[in-house]
Amino acid sequence: MIGKILIANRGEIAVRIIRACREMGIGTVAVYSEADRDALHAQLADEAVCIGPAPSSESYLNMQNIISATVISGADAIHPGFGFLSENSRFAELCEQCNITFIGPKSQVIQSLGNKSEARNTMIKAGVPVIPGSREPVFDAKTGADIAGEIGYPVIVKAALGGGGKGMRVAQTPDEFENSFNTAQKEAQMAFGDNTMYIEHFVEHPRHIEFQILADEHGNVIHLGERDCSIQRNHQKMIEESPSVALTPALREKMGEAAVKAAKAAHYTNAGTIEFLLEKNGNFYFMEMNTRIQVEHPVTEWVTGIDLVKEQIRIADGRELSCRQEDVHITGHAIECRINAENPAKNFRPSPGTITDMYLPGGKGVRIDSAIYSGYTVPPYYDSMLAKLIVHAKNRSEAIRKMRSALGEVIIEGIDTNVDYQYEILNHPDFISGDIDIEFIGHMSEQNQCREESE
Amino acid sequence: MNLKDMFKKTNTRAHYIALRHSRPEVPSGLLRKCNKCGAAIIAGDVKNGYYICPKCHGYFRVHAYRRFEMIADEGSFEEWDKEMDFVNPLDFPGYEEKIAHLKERTNLNEAVVTGKVTINGSPAVMAVCDGRFMMASMGHIVGEKITRAVERATEEKLPVIIFACSGGARMQEGIVSLMQMAKTSAALKRHSDAGQLYISVLTDPTTGGVTASFAMLGDIILAEPKALIGFAGPRVIEQTIGQKLPKGFQRSEFLLEHGFIDRIVEREEQKEVLSHILKMHSAEAGMVSEAGMNSEVGMNSEAGAGQEHMESAAQESADSTRQENPELPQECAGSARQESADGAQQEGSMPAWERVQRSRGKERPVGTDYIDALFTGFTEFHGDRYFKDDHAIVGGIARFHGIPVTVIAQAKGRTTKENLDRNFSMPSPDGYRKALRLMKQAEKFKRPVICFVDTPGAFCGLEAEERGQGEAIARNLYELSGLKVPVLSVVIGEGGSGGALAMAVADEVWMLENAIYSVLSPEGFASILWKDSKRASEAAEVMKLTAGDLKELGVIEQVIPEPEVFTAETMSGVCSDLDDRIAGFIQTYTAMDASALTEKRYARFRQI
Repeated sequence: MIGKILIANRGEIAVRIIRACREMGIGTVAVYSEADRDALHAQLADEAVCIGPAPSSESYLNMQNIISATVISGADAIHPGFGFLSENSRFAELCEQCNITFIGPKSQVIQSLGNKSEARNTMIKAGVPVIPGSREPVFDAKTGADIAGEIGYPVIVKAALGGGGKGMRVAQTPDEFENSFNTAQKEAQMAFGDNTMYIEHFVEHPRHIEFQILADEHGNVIHLGERDCSIQRNHQKMIEESPSVALTPALREKMGEAAVKAAKAAHYTNAGTIEFLLEKNGNFYFMEMNTRIQVEHPVTEWVTGIDLVKEQIRIADGRELSCRQEDVHITGHAIECRINAENPAKNFRPSPGTITDMYLPGGKGVRIDSAIYSGYTVPPYYDSMLAKLIVHAKNRSEAIRKMRSALGEVIIEGIDTNVDYQYEILNHPDFISGDIDIEFIGHMSEQNQCREESE
Repeated sequence: MNLKDMFKKTNTRAHYIALRHSRPEVPSGLLRKCNKCGAAIIAGDVKNGYYICPKCHGYFRVHAYRRFEMIADEGSFEEWDKEMDFVNPLDFPGYEEKIAHLKERTNLNEAVVTGKVTINGSPAVMAVCDGRFMMASMGHIVGEKITRAVERATEEKLPVIIFACSGGARMQEGIVSLMQMAKTSAALKRHSDAGQLYISVLTDPTTGGVTASFAMLGDIILAEPKALIGFAGPRVIEQTIGQKLPKGFQRSEFLLEHGFIDRIVEREEQKEVLSHILKMHSAEAGMVSEAGMNSEVGMNSEAGAGQEHMESAAQESADSTRQENPELPQECAGSARQESADGAQQEGSMPAWERVQRSRGKERPVGTDYIDALFTGFTEFHGDRYFKDDHAIVGGIARFHGIPVTVIAQAKGRTTKENLDRNFSMPSPDGYRKALRLMKQAEKFKRPVICFVDTPGAFCGLEAEERGQGEAIARNLYELSGLKVPVLSVVIGEGGSGGALAMAVADEVWMLENAIYSVLSPEGFASILWKDSKRASEAAEVMKLTAGDLKELGVIEQVIPEPEVFTAETMSGVCSDLDDRIAGFIQTYTAMDASALTEKRYARFRQI
């Protein structure tokens, strides 16, 4: 029964979940570490339980304590949020064993999707495209060339034990293959003492496109369109938007169908996300499935009008989805910027500390999801995300203008933030034209560096 | 801004109408409380995690059959003497009922489970005590099962591994229980005399009569971390002496420091460590024996014909060397590099004092550098089994070109901190006793012994005298002279007097070009003879302590050339040279039988 939910998380996502529960008339229990006594989520919830010392390994990752807190507080469900235990199949299993409703997929599903090769095989079987590649190790250039021909150029040769770019070479054409293979293999031999190689299709300048999925326990699976999350630094997303300029309605339908197929193949229930890499030519490949609510879920909420957290709770309670695929319409354009406590000038070094003063923007089409307040001290133990600033407008260019306007109003004093850096991205001609891929941030930093040097 | 009680709790009464109705409940057995740190832990994690608390890393006691599962190859365990008839030698009232009750509760027949296993393919006899059964106290059946297992191991020529855990003798069986100590020990003696390996693994708690018998008799004694190990229990001691015992007293770490156990091995590594040790001692390990030692076995058995030939060949080669070098009768026959070393020697006309300083150089490679460079699979063993583990001497087993050898090094530290720990390589009596113990172990298992000598001298101090420094050195000279396996000593730095000689009564002694070997430090020499330690450089010249001088005197056999700058980084040339030479040494000396070997060693010192 879902009458009271324990939120096994902190920060803005805990606040987000508490708000959804409150609107639904569901009781809330917050958990907090010793460092989070004054955190907003602990104050907002109906009840709050301390679950351990500051390090997350002893608090927000402490399964036993969280289970105990659930039983003691009389909660009957756990919402894991994102990060921490959200994709921990062992934790989901524990909840199942203790008769606690875990708001997310079944532990078995989390486990099999968490296993990369198992997930890949599931997708191949379901007919979802994956990056073509050799499944058998390759040891010589001649065999490699045959395989490369089957896979399709460009290809990348990778060392089995590879890492840090060593033992990796791209071959654009068959002429280049032998040379690339031999160089990569020699490098691998030198660096790792092993010459086992794999070959796969090289995805050039891809975009990160992910599809939001909702699936209930009655076999209904729908997708809520895509999010373009190509603006990322070291695999950390910075800006997400929906819809993506790269998708035509036809491609959206095709990818959406693939995403639904993927979720069905995995016997998925609850909210989830299918990540794809999208090539310029429109080919797309399954990367992985995230079995949780995501940071960037508000952009989808805004263009579809569906409250994903409420939907998660309803699904976990055994209800049918509140809408069908044909009811889903993408309206306007939404962009999200993540505001982090970090210093972009110092290699994005985290900047914990006390927020002495702050002002956050509002107005039509502006949404802030955050857990900070004036006088709040950002602890050094956890993720540095302070707030999510989301805007919604008729179309992309209006949304960009709205985001610039809103970013200009963000005032957070006392600690360093990446607000100015975000503002810079919003003004970058490539971003404005929508010509972005996952290498965007890398290129932008290079350009900045060149500019600084020439000055 | 303080937010406490600022927000309206709008949801004091839930009004969501749920479809599902279920009451959360933690099923019994899912969570447990760690009896060490008190934390709630998931029982499944403990079972899948070697019965170690995931929070405090404390060790839980392991049921005997689980232990077999953890150590033995799957399906390899063949249990012996599973059903034994109950005995009650003193007709102790209530004993039979108690045993019957325990049998039912634990599903065990008695407090020990024995049988045959393979560990990564190596066969062994294994016995495991189970603390749930009367704290695994040793009564007639425990003693009998262990004795039978050891006897059968002797018969089948198998190594024995015993996981000990016990409260001691079983009071209900009185004197009969005491006799089990003698019985098990006697069986192990026969097993050892038959040349077989016994590994004892001590787990929490190992006390009383079990400690005072089979538990402490291993050729190699391993222990689990923080296990209580002792003869008298801590409570008894505290009551007797009326004092509180220090923290960590009688724990594995305490015993390691006091020289009673070879190594503390974490549960996760136990199977690998045991399998490694078994392989090093297995018949296929390619022991010395290929040629020479086998011949000893051969003599006892029927083989014989080819082996005589082998022996005479070894004799011949030794003879021929003697003729070529009449001045150095004990020259190693297999050393082809002899001349190049000589050449280097003649070229260098470095003053002796300069060599003394080089031999003491801070950058000079130390014993452990040679162990790392020349051997594979080095497994260090600790302790003298009397009082202490002396860190000035590092010893253990390793492979040289695949052949198991015992390696012992006087080890200077690479840093000041290490040097303090290693007492600047000045061994205490405990160090020499550890070395001797490892040499005797090598003799039992027919492994050559390779020593690296590098010490300013035996440690000069109060405790060293109290524990018999002189006796310890003397004992090593005495025992080494008759050791029935080849012994090679390489002086790699300072060969300081008796402290060095205690590891250099060898078949051959080699020196690195700038090593020194002397009766006393030049400083000491100058101060005794001339009452002026500042004349050390002068003393160095007259003392004849360089490698070249000593080779001329016939005290050493080979001089190994060094590069101009000799550090751990530049030692590869010296190591490959040493590698060739040691291979030659082993080939030559393992071809000799024990009596020829000791005869020759006797003659080597006899003629000086």
